[in-house]
Amino acid sequence: MSEDLLVELTGITKSYGPVRSLRGVDLTLRRGEVLGLVGDNGAGKSTLMKVLAGAVQHDDGEIRVKGRPIRFSNPAEAQAEKIGIVYQDLALCDTLDVASNLFLGREPRRGPFIDRRRMHEQAAQILADLHVKVSSTHQEIGTLSGGQRQTVAIARAVSFAPDVLILDEPTAALAVAEVESVLRLITAVAAQGVGVVLITHRLQDLFRVCERITVMYEGQSVDDVPIGELDIESLVGLITRTGVAADPADTPQTEQEATA
Amino acid sequence: MTATTARATGSPAPAVARLAQQRTWWERTNKATLVMAAVTLLVFVFFALATDNFLTLGNVSNLATQVAPALIVGVAMTFVITAGQIDLSVGSIVAFVSATCAQLLVAGWDSSLVFLAGLAMGLGWGLVNGWFTAYQRIPAFIVTLATLSVVRGLALFTTEGFSVPIESWTAFARLGTARWLGLSSSAWIALAFAVLGVVLLHHTRFGQYVIGIGSAEESVRRAGVNVRLVKMAALGFSGLAAGVAGILIAARLGSGSANSAQGFELTVIAAVVLGGTSLLGGRGTIVGTLIGAVLTGVIANGLTLMSVSPYLTPIITGTVLVVVIWVNLRGADLGSVLRKLTGAR
Repeated sequence: MSEDLLVELTGITKSYGPVRSLRGVDLTLRRGEVLGLVGDNGAGKSTLMKVLAGAVQHDDGEIRVKGRPIRFSNPAEAQAEKIGIVYQDLALCDTLDVASNLFLGREPRRGPFIDRRRMHEQAAQILADLHVKVSSTHQEIGTLSGGQRQTVAIARAVSFAPDVLILDEPTAALAVAEVESVLRLITAVAAQGVGVVLITHRLQDLFRVCERITVMYEGQSVDDVPIGELDIESLVGLITRTGVAADPADTPQTEQEATA
Repeated sequence: MTATTARATGSPAPAVARLAQQRTWWERTNKATLVMAAVTLLVFVFFALATDNFLTLGNVSNLATQVAPALIVGVAMTFVITAGQIDLSVGSIVAFVSATCAQLLVAGWDSSLVFLAGLAMGLGWGLVNGWFTAYQRIPAFIVTLATLSVVRGLALFTTEGFSVPIESWTAFARLGTARWLGLSSSAWIALAFAVLGVVLLHHTRFGQYVIGIGSAEESVRRAGVNVRLVKMAALGFSGLAAGVAGILIAARLGSGSANSAQGFELTVIAAVVLGGTSLLGGRGTIVGTLIGAVLTGVIANGLTLMSVSPYLTPIITGTVLVVVIWVNLRGADLGSVLRKLTGAR
């Protein structure tokens, strides 16, 4: 099983001044699995994923990628380790076109110049492969619908051929049909051996695609449960900590609880 | 290359080719720039009809020389503004470089060394602006407002406010009077800058990141781009361009003065914004800046030929600026009003 382990986070902490966003988080991700990462607002899910994607540097704890201890000082280093992320705010540039956004930071070149023709052809191929519906790769991102922007952002992350793909609220702004296509896309990506971390408040989506759920609460990881052992009600209980007293032995205490 | 993108080589499927198909000229064109081009043409025709001397080879050549410094710095300023920054210090850098180059020539330096020193001084001040802005995170408006004061102050301090003459036999002075195919060296250098600007902004990664930073800096940073270096480079380019303009102005006038290029930064910013570059960043057009610089130059030149009071020139230029930008911002609204009036759909 250990050779399947893509990512292992142990005791990750991160503070912003006096605010302790992460207080010692443990998380594992295996090859080809979809891991749901859930928790209430402010639980630290997005911060944790920014740490894994190199956008935020953690204070303490260890990151292991494919068994190798590593510390990312910028997003490029995480990208080099084949860790891709789609942020909640999508990280797109509204005044650049679809192809330019797909290839931002790695534009194909001919000598010192961007090879726009090749960039647009490759972008069109990526979008066609993923069934992303936009009218043209020359279309400005700012003119796309919320759903189209989301799928372009996911297509961008997938085009890096990542080993790990982090999706932060990918279905939050989507119409029903678009949610379906994103979930199908997630399953297809995982089937290729990619480990996917899915952060979402749409709990029903987790039951469609995830195999395991990690629950965060006030900056700590408090539960790690196979999805088969959960239903929506019990999952809500784990997130809000209303039902945890029923089985205290399975639940690590939060710092707040420990000091109370 | 990724597994997905590898398949893109070879001949693409029709659906893929349709997705990647280039847009029409009309779709690609910046409409604000188009409005400006039309206005410039109208103003050009007006002065050609209203005066006898406007449309002569001599005057057009003179106009090109007058417009050159604003165009050179405007090209670089387009990068700065497109990246969501501003550079208020360009006028002071022009004055500093022109005064210091004249002083170095008086001190016996060879012209070739003075050219290099002028470029280095411009670039140096630009990098100072860039370093404080990009690496110390002080807003460019504040940094360049400070260097506007410091740089001109240094030039005034070293020259005590006097104009420093340049001997006409030096290669430096001869650059100012050199002509080729009817146009001055300044005009040719400005044209070269415009071509360089188009290539850099629209065909290189640097230009792509400048646009991206102006649109969403954090997104570009997360894509692994060194955004601070790009911002510093844009402001460095602006300083370098101001250095070139300073050299050309000193060479043309045959003297260097710490009092030259007063208010030059506003002329340049006006030309850039008139051309359709967004002051909010994320959108830039070098062709627009060329048109903007020409329009402001044409208005000043035409009014002079019409013997209109020189005090009216800034009033008219400012009014044109406001009207054109208003038309650009409200273009859609005006279009719908016109459609209603004419009953067109």
